[in-house]
Amino acid sequence: MKPPDNKIIMPIKILLVEDSPGDVRLTQEAFRDANGLTQLHVAADGVEAMAFLKQEGTHVHAPRPDIILLDLNLPKMDGRQVLAQIKQDDDLKTIPTLILTTSEAEADIVKSYRLYANCYLNKPVRFDAFESLVKSINDFWLTKVKLPPRAPSG
Amino acid sequence: MRPEGRKTKAVRSSPTVAIRDLSRPDAAEKHLAQMESKYHGLLEAAPDAMVVVNQGGDIVLLNLQAEKQFGYRRDELLGQKVTNIIPVGFAERLIADDLRSTEDALAQQIGTGIELIARRKDGSEFPIEIMLSPLESAEGILVTAAIRDISARKTDEKHLAQMESKYRGLLEAAPDAMVVVNQGGDIVLLNLQAEKQFGYRRDELLGQKVKNIIPEGFAERLLADRLRSADDALAQQIGTGIELTGRRKDGSEFPIELMLSPLESAEGILVTAAIRDISVRKAAEANLLQKVKELYRSNEELEQFAYFASHDLQEPLRMVASYTQLLARRYKGKLDTDAEEFIAFAVDGASRMQRLIQDLLAYSRVGSKGMNLLEISSEGALQQALVNLRGAVEESGAVVTHDPLPAVLADEMQLVQLFQNLVANAIKYQKPGVPLVHISAARNVEKKWQFSVRDNGLGIDPQYFERIFGLFQRLHKREEFAGTGIGLAICKKIVERHGGRVWVESGPGQGSTFRFTLAASKMKS
Repeated sequence: MKPPDNKIIMPIKILLVEDSPGDVRLTQEAFRDANGLTQLHVAADGVEAMAFLKQEGTHVHAPRPDIILLDLNLPKMDGRQVLAQIKQDDDLKTIPTLILTTSEAEADIVKSYRLYANCYLNKPVRFDAFESLVKSINDFWLTKVKLPPRAPSG
Repeated sequence: MRPEGRKTKAVRSSPTVAIRDLSRPDAAEKHLAQMESKYHGLLEAAPDAMVVVNQGGDIVLLNLQAEKQFGYRRDELLGQKVTNIIPVGFAERLIADDLRSTEDALAQQIGTGIELIARRKDGSEFPIEIMLSPLESAEGILVTAAIRDISARKTDEKHLAQMESKYRGLLEAAPDAMVVVNQGGDIVLLNLQAEKQFGYRRDELLGQKVKNIIPEGFAERLLADRLRSADDALAQQIGTGIELTGRRKDGSEFPIELMLSPLESAEGILVTAAIRDISVRKAAEANLLQKVKELYRSNEELEQFAYFASHDLQEPLRMVASYTQLLARRYKGKLDTDAEEFIAFAVDGASRMQRLIQDLLAYSRVGSKGMNLLEISSEGALQQALVNLRGAVEESGAVVTHDPLPAVLADEMQLVQLFQNLVANAIKYQKPGVPLVHISAARNVEKKWQFSVRDNGLGIDPQYFERIFGLFQRLHKREEFAGTGIGLAICKKIVERHGGRVWVESGPGQGSTFRFTLAASKMKS
């Protein structure tokens, strides 16, 4: 996948909202193998995720992510609330938001789509399966999909 | 009898004053005439026969009712001895004995009904009840007797007495409280059980309204509405237990079951009510309901527990499984063989634990998910299961055949899972050779569809027939056959949730036939 020389490629910025350090590291490992051109930012809870997205507090210089990977069960503000706030925000709602969770509960799946999640993914238990999932995310969301322009500032 | 008491008092006080100074006999006669005209209206208005008698026992005044009742004309009675019409028991009461004044003697009689026998002009006799009240006059104290013909009541009583003696044995032999009620709702007969159950003495209940002991729902049933005769109304109630509330003398209430039956008598239809105290049954029912509720709740809690616990268990398990795997991969060739073996065991353990959790989740999901019962083709469900099993079928070289299968009322996804688990087992537990699996269905005696999944595999020792359907029960070593032992437990749960039954017929080396029943769809299949 060599980019043509005349095109300026910017790394794809991903906001990972995940409270478990183990999961964060696994995701980093998996993305490193799948696509070296990604920039993974991490928010450890819902409040921090919203601060990052709204560039508030210590996140005033935070970049606007191209895509959000959101866990559902988070401390302080849970993933459902974060999702609701993103999708109610005129500026943020265009950012594809992927739910990435261990929950297989039908209620969670339905609720997420009701709140306009762009897709719902289950975290597999084994690393090879997780690797393959991350590869799929990369192949589809970061490669095939045309993402919206990095508005308003980018 | 208060109104009469009051009337007596009024009569005693006001006219007495006027009568007192007329002491001469001729004046007395004149006075009697005056009195007659004065009390005439009062006498004639009375519903009973009224006779005024002096202390000599002579009739001095009477009303039309008295003429009619005794069959005499007025002039035939006036001045006659009262013993002509009431031979015994009345005149005697007018005479004071040595110990009592007339007034005292009378005072004892006043206000209480005395039952006597009266005689008509034609000599026939009939039962009466008389009520006495004194009337002061110039001739001394006169006595007013209100005489009521109680033939009808006496007949009733006689009938009842007859009936009572006739049914007494029957009533007392009954294990239930028995109460016989007339159509007015009055209790006319009862047994000892009824006394005990309601806490009354017999005489406290006889003649009382049945509403006193069964406040609602019984008396109403005795009254026919406009469209039905009393017979019809009763006929509807007869033989069916009616659950009502009984009330004891102390006011406490208890649940009863009532069985009614009609009893024809001279007074019309009486109703016999067998009253059973169902407190114990009700308490048992309530207890059972409570137990069912508790069981339901604890079952629900257990399912929720399994579901959520397995989610929460997945998290740390992912860390163990993923990182041991990552470790194995990243350090492959850099560690000694011991380290690699240890890591392999850790990875294998984590993987198995994951399988267990996944299976537990699947099992609890069968119970916690709502069922979508529809009319579906069981053949379609089997075909879907075979599509899902294509890999396993091809790999084993199994030949899976089936008869035409009927439409059933089932949750399609669960039926697919059921077939899938049974066929997968049939292929899995095989001996060398070509696995043959055949699926068929037939109606059983209960009109349900009985499905059979037959294989030519290893077979099962009958001693394990029950155990194989248990959660995480396995008959083989993991090295021989993989799996957690959840498949048949899920099958059992699915079948039972559909109101069916699952079992196995087999023997070692004879192959196995798993059978299960499902309700047939309402439509013809």
